[in-house]
Amino acid sequence: MSTNAREEVARHKQANVMLSRVAGSLYWMSRYLERAENQARLIDVNLQILLDFGHVGAETLKAHWLPVLRSSGDEEQFFKLYETADNESATDFLTFRLENPNSLISCISNARENARQVRDQISSEMWEVLNDAYHFIQGADAKKIWNEGASAFYDQIKRYSHLFQGITVSTFSRVEGFEFIQFGKYLERADQITRLLDIKYHILLPKASDVGGAVDTAQWHAVLRSASAVEAYRRYYVADILFKKVVEFLLFDESFPRSLKFCCVQMEDFIELITDTSVESSISTEPRKRFEAFLSRLSKVTVDELFNSGMHQFLDTAQVEIAAIGAHLYTNFMYHPPVDIQAEIRFQQQQEQQQQ
Amino acid sequence: MLFDNYQTEDFFDEMFTADGTPRPHYQGVSDALNGVNAKEFCDKQNAVENAFMRGGVTFTVYNDSQGTERIFPFDCVPRVISAEEWDVVEKGLIQRLTALNMFLHDIYHEQKILKDRVIPPQYVLSAKHFRREFMNCSVPKDIYAHICGTDLIRDRDGNYLVLEDNLRCPSGASYMLENRNALKRTFPELFQASGVHPINEYAAKLLKVLQYCAPVKFAGDGAPNAVLLTPGVFNSAYFEHAFLARQMGVPIVEGRDLVVRDFKVFMRTTAGLVKVDVIYRRIDDDFLDPSVFRDDSLLGVPGLVNAYRAGNVSIANSIGTGVADDKVVYYFVPKMIKYYLGEDPILPNVDTYLASEPSDCSHILANLDKLVVKSANEAGGYGMLMGPWASKAEIEEFRKMIEENPRNFIGQNPISLSRHPTWTGDQFEGRHIDLRPYILYGEKIVVTPGGLTRVALRKGSLVVNSSQGGGSKDTWVLKQ
Amino acid sequence: MPNLYSETTATGMHLTVRHLTRYVYNGQALESFNDLRLKPVSDPLQRCAAYSLRVQPEAPIKTHYDFYQNRVDHFELHVPHDSLEIESFVEVATRLDTRGTAPIGLSLPALDDRSVEENYFDFVVESKFVPQNVAIWREAVDVLGGPVTDLWADAVKLGRHVFQTFTYDPDWTHVHTDALTAIKDRRGVCQDYAHVMIAFCRSQGIPARYVSGYFYNGKTGDENEASHAWMEVFLPHYGWKAWDPTHDREADIRYIKLANGRDYGDIRPVSGRFKGKSTQRMEVIVQIRKVS
Repeated sequence: MSTNAREEVARHKQANVMLSRVAGSLYWMSRYLERAENQARLIDVNLQILLDFGHVGAETLKAHWLPVLRSSGDEEQFFKLYETADNESATDFLTFRLENPNSLISCISNARENARQVRDQISSEMWEVLNDAYHFIQGADAKKIWNEGASAFYDQIKRYSHLFQGITVSTFSRVEGFEFIQFGKYLERADQITRLLDIKYHILLPKASDVGGAVDTAQWHAVLRSASAVEAYRRYYVADILFKKVVEFLLFDESFPRSLKFCCVQMEDFIELITDTSVESSISTEPRKRFEAFLSRLSKVTVDELFNSGMHQFLDTAQVEIAAIGAHLYTNFMYHPPVDIQAEIRFQQQQEQQQQ
Repeated sequence: MLFDNYQTEDFFDEMFTADGTPRPHYQGVSDALNGVNAKEFCDKQNAVENAFMRGGVTFTVYNDSQGTERIFPFDCVPRVISAEEWDVVEKGLIQRLTALNMFLHDIYHEQKILKDRVIPPQYVLSAKHFRREFMNCSVPKDIYAHICGTDLIRDRDGNYLVLEDNLRCPSGASYMLENRNALKRTFPELFQASGVHPINEYAAKLLKVLQYCAPVKFAGDGAPNAVLLTPGVFNSAYFEHAFLARQMGVPIVEGRDLVVRDFKVFMRTTAGLVKVDVIYRRIDDDFLDPSVFRDDSLLGVPGLVNAYRAGNVSIANSIGTGVADDKVVYYFVPKMIKYYLGEDPILPNVDTYLASEPSDCSHILANLDKLVVKSANEAGGYGMLMGPWASKAEIEEFRKMIEENPRNFIGQNPISLSRHPTWTGDQFEGRHIDLRPYILYGEKIVVTPGGLTRVALRKGSLVVNSSQGGGSKDTWVLKQ
Repeated sequence: MPNLYSETTATGMHLTVRHLTRYVYNGQALESFNDLRLKPVSDPLQRCAAYSLRVQPEAPIKTHYDFYQNRVDHFELHVPHDSLEIESFVEVATRLDTRGTAPIGLSLPALDDRSVEENYFDFVVESKFVPQNVAIWREAVDVLGGPVTDLWADAVKLGRHVFQTFTYDPDWTHVHTDALTAIKDRRGVCQDYAHVMIAFCRSQGIPARYVSGYFYNGKTGDENEASHAWMEVFLPHYGWKAWDPTHDREADIRYIKLANGRDYGDIRPVSGRFKGKSTQRMEVIVQIRKVS
């Protein structure tokens, strides 16, 4: 190689190092948008279930929304803001309240904010979708949704997410950044599916006698819809919607892109690509081994075993494992200080050490 | 013909002599533009603006949470400088930067120029950007100001004068490059005929300068690792930072991406810590290192100054260069040139009065309605009184400020800036312009043949800054 | 204290100082950057015979000299730590000032001398902890009753004025208090006394600088053993002469000088910053002993 060519290669290499901060922003951008999509589905489907039931009383409404609020851990915050959990308050809280860190508006703002931090590293089309989504939700409010049809609104949110994913695949170079975007997406999706099942299984299913009833079937149907899985499920199981089959499908199906197994396998692939680039020998291999063990458990365990040993415990474990591998990659490859400058100041509190 | 009604009035016009004939070096431009009608010109002008918006050649408007982006208004009529004129400008700028750099080295070491009373020491010691922390610290190759943007204007007789030096983080080079690209696309035929010096090697030359100034202790076998340090995406000049980083092929980093370990600087990457040898910084001294300068800075890198002091990293421009663009120090630049080089300045200063000298001060105070008064450390056209155009109240406000803190003010006779034909939407009119050439100091001093011509788009206005209604033009230096 | 009297008339003293600073943090601290100005200067009035430094957790130390030629020892700690100890040991021989008494009758025009100007440019203007305002200037003029006629005698008058109108109060001010704030309540510690006296001097054109160091008071217990601060006045063709406004006297052989600068901000003995929650507690132990 001539000196010039070597210099060129060295320059290229150097220009293509990926800053941890940039990796972190891409990862969070992707996670937040995926979270928004899942939230939008969850709200939409729950509103529809209630429609199916016709008129319901305040207690039923509360019983219906509480698990949803609980699943993202925001129940306490909710009751600081509202007196009762009904359609309007729940929708408002889950969609528009910035106080709720998992509300649609919070998720989309955060996705956009992270994208803005790496504006020159993503395609302008990607940025434009996030920007549009942001302005779309900024311009809406709960009243408008009720008047103009909630479904259309939540559909639009989903569409932004799908559009973004498509544009990413077709405009973003297959460099390291892509791996972080995909890893973030699948991690979030895996986490969300466990939460979705948990709401249904752990909370919506208090009495054994209800199992298999009309209400139960409608609810499992809703779960499938929440995961955009109705058609895919039907293709595999022509029969009725059976809760065991639904759980099996959403957890263990190998080809459905929103199943837990599928997401975890994808995560594993991207983890492999991401850790490959590192030259740091000090990174522990323990967390990866642990995640691999979890993956092999996913392949072996059957749905009957799960029901016997406790579904909720399993979902809990899954969430812990997903969070652990996420934290591992996050700590070792992405450095992200909080976007909020006040938090930054608090965190860094550059207190002086001095004396007279 | 588009120039039929053009009036030079009582100004030095770059393109036309007083009797309305084009100057020889503008003949080509004049012929070409005369072959275009108003509609065609408008189309071309719009095409350029659209291209800028699409290409993101923008600056961010401050205090706007939506992150509004605007293009820096661009005028399609190029400013042309003849080879003979440029020869003088180039020599003058090289002379000036040579002297300024010697001055910086001197005041951070022996301070001979102060001891010899060429410059009264209190002026340097009281300069806001004089960095005591940086005394007696050697910098690689003794270069302090690697990148300098010096603002030049022309007076009524067409003489080039230096208005100010920018030795901290001069901006605008990206607009110079983008303007050229835009004009090439719009008037390709113009270029072929005219013989214009290319400027597209600017980024490559800048990278060479950065690598030339590798730290004393750099011992790697390849080229030193350079990075561009930006305050972040919210900075109004972020476009320029990203642009230059991309053109040079170096990473663009923020303070939080860098970390100091054992007096060495590293960037945090997904592949671990990667050593950084040279930092092209685009943040001010004050924010560079919270452990030395402003301790509330979140933009900087704690420990950076000590890493620099230890000779493990280079910083361009160096720390403390701002003392040389203090407007009071500016007054002494011709004396510096004489003192260090034994030469007469090729490019003169604008006549300046120092409010801190009692005799000058009374002159300034007695003539506030006739002078331009500037505060010593402001940039971007702020902190300025344009006497002849100012209201009574503004004049009194400045009078009070000058009396309270004379060190902070200078007065200058207003210069009737040269004018240039500029498109106003339906015809050409004369608008005032200045010129910011970019000078790079590496193995030798190189002036990029061209620069950023800034134009005051408002009729009659003398303020060319983009923050206050200024636009820009492509600047051609002719080969012959 | 009869023994003190004899010490002040001796030709010099041999002193050792142990200075320990211990920080205990709330949780862990990391990314800690620190500057120390703990080595006594060597000049005609004192010789630093020994100096050693201990930092725990251990860290490599880099040394440079600042603008005022004070020695700065710098270290960085990147590993998380829950406490930090900085300990210095010094041995100093102080000497009697052999320049004799301060010159009498030096007035402001004496400063207008190019051969000495560069010594004091920084010390006649404002600085961070010593701002100027009309009230300070007025008070100084009232104390002197007219323009400066004798640099040293007038500086001493201003110092005495501070001593007489101030109340020593270790709990009133803190390390960030500047001269303007201190003068409002007229309470404070040696740092405030020095800053205010410097402000008075500079307002009248008398060059004055801030000095940090130690003072041997002959006691051996915990009592009153700490770091100290005073000030110096520039006298053309004589040099800098020290005055301690807190004790209302000239600094003598019991004083050990660490550093000088425009004010406290330039020469904090220990300064630094870190990432972490906060400092839970800071302990300082200073032990000054006479070597017999």
